Parts: sequence; C-alpha cells; structure tokens
Amino acid sequence: MKLTKTLTASALALCVTATGAQADTELELARFFGDCDNAGTDVSTAVGEACIIQTIINAYSAEDNGVTIETLPTDWGNYYDQLKAMYAGNSAPDVHVMHKSSVAEFASLGALLPLPEADLRAAGINPDDWVDRARDAVTYDGQLYAVPMDMHANLWHINLDILDQAGLVNDAGEPILPTSADELMAHAKQVKDATGKDYLTADFAQFPIGVRMVLAMLWQQNSNVFDGDTATVNTPEAKQAVETIVGLFDAGYADPNLNYSDSQQAFLAGEAAIQINGTWMVDFYDSETANADSALQSYYVADYPQLFDQPATWADSHIWALPVTLKNDPEKYEAALDFLAWLNDHNVDWARTGHLAIRQSVLDSAEYQNLAHRDEYNNTVNIARDNPPAVRYSAIQDVLNRELQSVWLQGKDIEKALSDAEREINRLL
Amino acid sequence: MNQHALPRWVVIVVTLAAVVWLIPVVWMVSLSLQPNDLLSRTTANTFLGLVPVPFTLDNFQAILSIGDTPRWFLNSMLVAGGSTFLVLVTSTMAGYAFARIRFTGRSIVYPLVLAGLMVPEQVVFIPLYVMFADWNAHNSLPTLALPRVALPIGVFLMTQFFKDIPDSLEEAARLEGCGHGRIFWSIMLPLAKPMMMTLAIITFLYSWNDYLWPLVSAQRTDFFTITVGLAKIQGNFAQSQGLGQLMASGVLASLPVIILFLIFQKYILRGIALSTDK
Amino acid sequence: MRLSSFLQSDNFSGWAFILPYLIAFVPLLLWPFFQGFWMSMHEWNLLAVTFNPAAKEFIGAGNYIRLMGADNLGWSLQPLWPFRLVVTALIIALYVRTLRSQATAGISHHFIAAIALFTTVVLLGLTGDWYDTRFWIVVRNTLVFVAWVVPVTTAVALLLAIALNREGRWAATLRSVFFFSQILSVTVVTLIWQLVYGARNGFIANLLAPFGIESPNWLTDDQLAMGAIVAATVWWSVGFALILFLAGLQQIPGERLEAATLDGAEGWRKIVQIIVPSIIRTVQFVMIMQIVLHFQVFGQSQLMTQGGPGDATNVWVRYIYQTAFRDSEVGYASAMATVLFAFMMLFSLIQFWVTKRQES
Repeated sequence: MKLTKTLTASALALCVTATGAQADTELELARFFGDCDNAGTDVSTAVGEACIIQTIINAYSAEDNGVTIETLPTDWGNYYDQLKAMYAGNSAPDVHVMHKSSVAEFASLGALLPLPEADLRAAGINPDDWVDRARDAVTYDGQLYAVPMDMHANLWHINLDILDQAGLVNDAGEPILPTSADELMAHAKQVKDATGKDYLTADFAQFPIGVRMVLAMLWQQNSNVFDGDTATVNTPEAKQAVETIVGLFDAGYADPNLNYSDSQQAFLAGEAAIQINGTWMVDFYDSETANADSALQSYYVADYPQLFDQPATWADSHIWALPVTLKNDPEKYEAALDFLAWLNDHNVDWARTGHLAIRQSVLDSAEYQNLAHRDEYNNTVNIARDNPPAVRYSAIQDVLNRELQSVWLQGKDIEKALSDAEREINRLL
Repeated sequence: MNQHALPRWVVIVVTLAAVVWLIPVVWMVSLSLQPNDLLSRTTANTFLGLVPVPFTLDNFQAILSIGDTPRWFLNSMLVAGGSTFLVLVTSTMAGYAFARIRFTGRSIVYPLVLAGLMVPEQVVFIPLYVMFADWNAHNSLPTLALPRVALPIGVFLMTQFFKDIPDSLEEAARLEGCGHGRIFWSIMLPLAKPMMMTLAIITFLYSWNDYLWPLVSAQRTDFFTITVGLAKIQGNFAQSQGLGQLMASGVLASLPVIILFLIFQKYILRGIALSTDK
Repeated sequence: MRLSSFLQSDNFSGWAFILPYLIAFVPLLLWPFFQGFWMSMHEWNLLAVTFNPAAKEFIGAGNYIRLMGADNLGWSLQPLWPFRLVVTALIIALYVRTLRSQATAGISHHFIAAIALFTTVVLLGLTGDWYDTRFWIVVRNTLVFVAWVVPVTTAVALLLAIALNREGRWAATLRSVFFFSQILSVTVVTLIWQLVYGARNGFIANLLAPFGIESPNWLTDDQLAMGAIVAATVWWSVGFALILFLAGLQQIPGERLEAATLDGAEGWRKIVQIIVPSIIRTVQFVMIMQIVLHFQVFGQSQLMTQGGPGDATNVWVRYIYQTAFRDSEVGYASAMATVLFAFMMLFSLIQFWVTKRQES
C-alpha cells in the first residue's frame, strides 16, 4: 500500500513538472546552414552561418517568453526534398527557412501561410523597414508569405598575397580585377606564371556555384535563362559565358573537379588566388587570417567584377515562412510570429556572417557598416540579380547544374549541352 | 572442409587481401582517435594515419555529450529487430500452411504471394509514403518496420524448406491426433531452426541497412535510424563538423553491430546454409 | 460440435496460418502496388494533392509516353557500333560453339542467344529524340553498375570461398574479416569510402603523395566515379556471397575434391571443371540475389556522388526518389517505378525459365 502511494505521489509530481514544462509552446523549426556543435546563447562570439543562426535560436528559447524552439536536423543537399516530404506527410515544421527563389513553388501550391501585414506589425515587425528587394522577395501574388532575413550574393574572396606576387595589387592595397573576359585569362596566366597557383577555385562539381557564375555572365550581357514561358539558354551570350569558364579549365588556371569543401580547402591552403563563393564565407575567412596554420593571411573580398556590358552578380534571399496548417493553431501562430520578430530584430547579428542586411535601419547603422570587410563589397547590393520567379525554379537550376557539369567534367559539347538544357527547361516552364 | 594444404602464394595473396580489406575500417577508427585540428591539415600523420598518434578521445566525448547517435542506434535495433521477429513469425506460419496444409484458395493465394517476390520495396515506396501520410503515421517506429514484413522472400524460403520435410515425420504425429498447431510447434519449428537463423540474418542485415524508406518516412530526430542519422551528419560535414567527430560517429554507429557480430560470428558464418544445392 | 470440427479442418487451419502474413502483405505490398500503377496514370503533384486532393488529373499513358517516347524514332547501325559488333560476334561464336559441343546441353541456348542478339542488334540501335533523355542515361548507369558489381563480387567471393573452405584458425579469421564489411550500414560504408577517395586528404591520395603522383578526383571524375562506387560496393557485399558459397562448398562430397592441390593450371582447371559445376545452383542463387539487390542501388549514388558528375552515376531508384520528392512529380515517378518492376519481372521470368529448362 505504502509503495503504491509513493508511486502515485511521484507520478503526480512528474505530471506537475510535466505540465509546468508544457506551459512553453514548442515550435519545430527546419533550416539548412549545417550543424553547430556547442552553440550557446551568446551571439557575439559565434562564427559562421550554422553557429550564428543556432545561437540566435537558442537565445530566443532561453528568453522567458513561453516559447521553446526545437531545431529539426536536415542536411543541405536534400533540404527541399525533406521539406516537401514533411509537408506531404502532414508533419510540416512550424517555421522554416527557405530561399526567395522557392516561394513561387510553395505558395502556388497552397503550402505557405499568407502573413497579413497587420499581424506582422502586431508582433513587432515593421515591413516598411525592409528594403524593396527584400519585400519583393517574400511577396507572391500581392501577398506577404514570409519574413526576409538577408540578401546573399556571389563575391570574389581573394588571397591578396598571391595576387601581390603576380603584381595584381595596386598601391592602395586593393586587388586589380579583370574588366573583360580576355583580361580574366590574362590575369589567370599572370598568376600561374608568377606563382604556379590556380587563379580561381569554386565548387563546379556539386553545388551550383558554377551555374551562378554563368548566370552572372549572362546578365552582364543583358541575357537570361528564360523569358516568360520560353527558355533562352542556347544563345551566343550563354555560349560566351560557358566558354569563358571552360577556357580557364583548359588552360589549367582552375580545377573543375573540386566540390564545395575541396575548393574551400584549396583556397585556405593557398592553392588558388581567388575563391568564388557567397557572402556567407566572409566572417569565416576573416577569422581564418588569425590562424597561423592557414595560408590565408591577407584576405580581401570584392564585388563580382564586370566582365561584359554591365555589372551583375547572382543573388538570392533567405526568408522564414510558416506552413498553412498553422492557421488552425492560434497559439503556435502567435508564438511563430513572435519568433520571426526576434529574427527580424537580430538582423544585424545575422549580417555578421557576411550576408547583406535587409532592414534599412540596420543598413544605415554604424554597427553594420563597421563589420569586417563590409566596405569592400558595398556595390554588391546594387548589382545583385536573380532569375525571374518561376514555379519550377529549383528544377531549372538542377537542369543547368547537370548540363554545365557535364560540359566541364565530362567534356560534353557546349552547344549540345545548352540545347539539351533549353529543351528541358522549356518542358519545365 | 577441404583438408588439402593451399599453395603458399595463395596463402600470401589472400592474407594480403584481408589486410587491405581491413584498411578502410582501421583508418576510420584511427582518425576518430586523432584531434580535429590535426586532421584539418593532414589525415596521414602517423603511418598514413593508420596509427592514432597523437591520441585523443575528445571526438567520442563530443559525440556522446551532444549527439543523438545512441538514440538512432536504439531505433535501428528496434526497427531491424522488430521486423525480423515479425518476419520470422509470419513467414514460418505462412510457409508451413502453404507447404503442408491443403486448404481452399491455396492455389490462388500462393502464386499471388510468389508474384510479390518481384515487387521490391523501391517500387512501392511512393504509394506507401502517400498511404502512411494519409493515416498520419509517419515518424513512428512501426511505420519504419512494417513494410519489410510484407516482403515475401521469407514466406518463399520457409515454404520451400517445409516442402522438403518427409511426410513420415508428420504422419506419426497425426496418428496420435495432433492438430496443425501441435505439429507446427513441436515438430516443424525445431527442424526449421537453421533456416530461420538464415532468414533472420538476411532480414536483420537488410533492414539494418535500409536507407530509402527511413529517409522519406522519418523526418524527426527521434525516429531516425542510424543510417539516416549518420547521413544527416555527413551531409552537413563540409560546413562545420570536424572530420574526427564524423569518424567517431561512424565508429560509434558500427560498434554495437561489430560486437554482436564477434559474439555470434561462429553461428552466423555457420548458420547460413541455404539448401540451394539439393 | 460443428464449430469444433470446422476449427480442426484444413481450411480453417490453412487460412489461420497465413492470416498474419496476409495482414502485412495485402495492405503493404499488394495494394500499394496497384495504387502505384494507378498513380502512374495521373499527373500528380505530391504537394498540390496534399493541400487539394482533387488536384490530380488522369492522363492515361501520358507519363509512360513522356518517359519512353521519342520523336523521329528510328534504327541505325551507328550507336555504340564497336561495342555492338564485338558483342554480337561473341554471342554468335558462343552460340555456334554450344551447338557443336554436347557439354552444356540442356541450357536453352537458342532462347538466350535470341534475346541477346535482339538486345544488341535491335534495342541498342534505336535512335530518336527521346522525350526524357535522362531516363535512358540512368537506366544505362544502373545496368553498368549491375554488370560490374555482380560478376566481380561473385568471382571474388567464389575464389575466396575456395581458398577459405578449410579447417584452422587462419581460414576462420579470414572468413570473419571478409564477412565483416557486410555488417556495416550503407552510410558508414559510403562515409569511409568517400574519405578513402578524397582528392586532397583521402587514403589513396596520401598513399600516392610520397611518389609525387597526384591522386585523381575519384568521385567527381566522369571516367572514374562509377568505378569508384562499384569498388566500394564490391568491398561491402562480398561477405554475404562468400558465406553462401562456403555453405555450398561444404555440400560437395570430399572425394570429388581429391587429387592434388589447387596449384597452377591444374588448380584453375579444377575450379572450372569440378567445383563450379558442383555448386552451380549456389552460383545462380547468389547472382540472382545480387542482381535483384543491386538493381535497387540508391545509397551509394545518393551519398557518395549525388549522382554526379552530371548524371554519370545517377541510378534508377535515385531518379525515382528525386522525381517524387525534389520535383514532387509522384505520378511520373510511379511510372518509372512501374517500368522498373516490368524490367525486373522480365528478368525473373527469363531466369525462371532457364532454371526450369535446366532441371528437366
């Protein structure tokens, strides 16, 4: 009897603590950016996308706001497959990150919850503070569907020591970058001759960094991948863009076989003068200059150079959206909006990764402008471009990545690859 | 067993092959025992990296303190163990019935089941996914285990096995008035033990290694199997994880099966006696 | 009374014994199979149907036409002609030889030869602007993968089994070693091998570095990636074949293995003329099992190369997975799955038929 009583009592005690803990609304959050071990709650010490975002999330959970966030594990390469599987399995996360470029697909299928401006304001988010491009990024069919977090773009990450040896640094200590496709080859030769190193490195073998380079060169020639419902891939401009890159490979000034992490290691090991990669690498590379073992001691980051008629670089936005199912759960909806407001408030912390902030008030702040290397790529915000919204955007990107990879990794004929890509993209549009 | 001595060169070649065979695993274990910052510079520090010098247990500590690896491992055990148990129960029973009971409908049902042999899991995973989604049943251990129970390979193997058992054994029991239940339990099952062991090993191994179904069905950490969980860590490796930690999680994920294997190896290596050469 | 006699009847017992299996079989294999076929006749977007169940459209054979159809369908001698020429010559030579000798009588060589010739001469010669060019690439990759993994695994496992089929500590230890890799999960195997193949700090690169040889990028090189995956798969799957062979070898009566050692030409002759024929059914079983298994390869391609470079290592099941989940086109993906099924069924039927003929 006594035992039973004790058991009942302890069971009751468990229940009490359980309900005590349940007072917190629990939100499931899905994101990419990778894992961060030992992420704390102190945002100011975190480095890199994964740790900065996780620290912001942890700091929110730690606040006494009645909300706890559980981050779901997903990996980069399959993020959207998994997100779709979650939606289709009736187990969508309560809040998730995505790209601007995927809004059209998800919103058109009715997966995303429209966010009325009044609700955002009530939660403490002021959409008027967002720059126009950010507002466009989260708008579909005249409705707001997400809260933007950044704009990210391709930059040229530079190891100044190598360019210096090749005589490609001016008196002000700035790199001398090419202004035409011919000059690009000339500079690459200069670096090879002077140092024996590759001119540039990027992930041409896995993630679509190479595609984004080709896109930038298309836009620089005032061309595009598609126009309305018609693919325009098989054009002289596209051929010119791809040939420019293949020229570097053929001359041995760049290695197409490196994947994302290999190309990163090659850059850190001082095997290439320039890495083409996104804004997200800036704070990491900056921190590497403090590492005595690293070959990257003198780091500079530049806007994507203009090689053709007009400047342009690839850009996208990370944005945070809620699933349509949340409209049946007012408590979670409110909690999720509160969390989005927290992210919006921490825009400058996220910008420490190297990303461009999207709130005008943050862009104007001294804290933002004093971030490391920020003044070196000021013009990126003005030259950022992307494809027009398309429901099948990610599939189109896949086609381009595959066909371009088959050009530089498998030696497929450029015109054949471009015409194959055009045919497939036409089918997708 | 063949008693003849092997020529020396064969012994040498096969032994060398075995050493080479082990190198990848030895390397993984060794890397998991070296500090991360060393590995970011070289993976060939001491004797091609095959000897863990300098030595550290930090990677394992890190994985165990934050990781879900033990939980994923438990899930894999439960899923593989559960489906193996269910396969054994359902397929010995069905195999016995198909082989030794004459019942109406057998000539229709058995060929239907045999036709199922040609339908691999990969062909039906999309409708299965949609079905379980309709039932709101994803992210649960039974959902991970059940589709494998439906695969008819076990029924086929057990039916073949029971067919080959001589009638005389059964007739004696029948004369004493035993029903099918008694015959199955007291005569057939003991005879089938080696075959069941084989079936259990096949089922367990394939279930343990299954990747596609848990990949689409389990979206929550709590329900990852070790294959899916490790793949997630791997996928994020380039961005943040240290190489040593990655290897440590690989070792940790394999360790328990390796121990099981070492305990049962005699049984496993001897147990697989498929009667394919009758 | 009647109830109890019913309970003891064969009809009741039979159904009662198969019921537990049927409970799993009918809803989890039989029904989804027909459901998949039904889905394959629809334009069916996974996400759209989730939010609006009516958002599917019946299109009959539309998905199949998109998958396997082509404009300007034709036939020519030109595609892969050196390969086709050599293989055709080989088939004819083998066929003629088999006809002359009586040794392999019973195997249905007419049928096999006809199928093989039809494939090399007619099927491989089809040309056209395929609607889905990727599908044929993926099918070819899967076939290439199977065509490498299965014979190599079988040969390695068989030779090892012959060498290790003996008493003693040495053989016992080595049996364990070679079986060992089989118990690792696909994620661990791909993790290890990705690292072994790493271009910058992989084991092979480390091994070659002292000689000043730069390691190729095994996994991103178009010519090497498939081979790299095949090697990892062989390493992984030899173990199981090995113990099946060992079990088979133990059923050979000792006197047939009499007569000297396995050395030299004598040894090879013995393997080919005595050992292999004695366990031919095990060999067949191992090969069928592996063909079925490796046709469904997914993890290696997904985890080691992401199907790349380009589509060079993309395989059938991965294409299904991607189409269903990345592109949300489950109707189209179901059509691919159905064709995969038809393919495997055709193979099984041929296999079944050959075995039947052999037995009679």
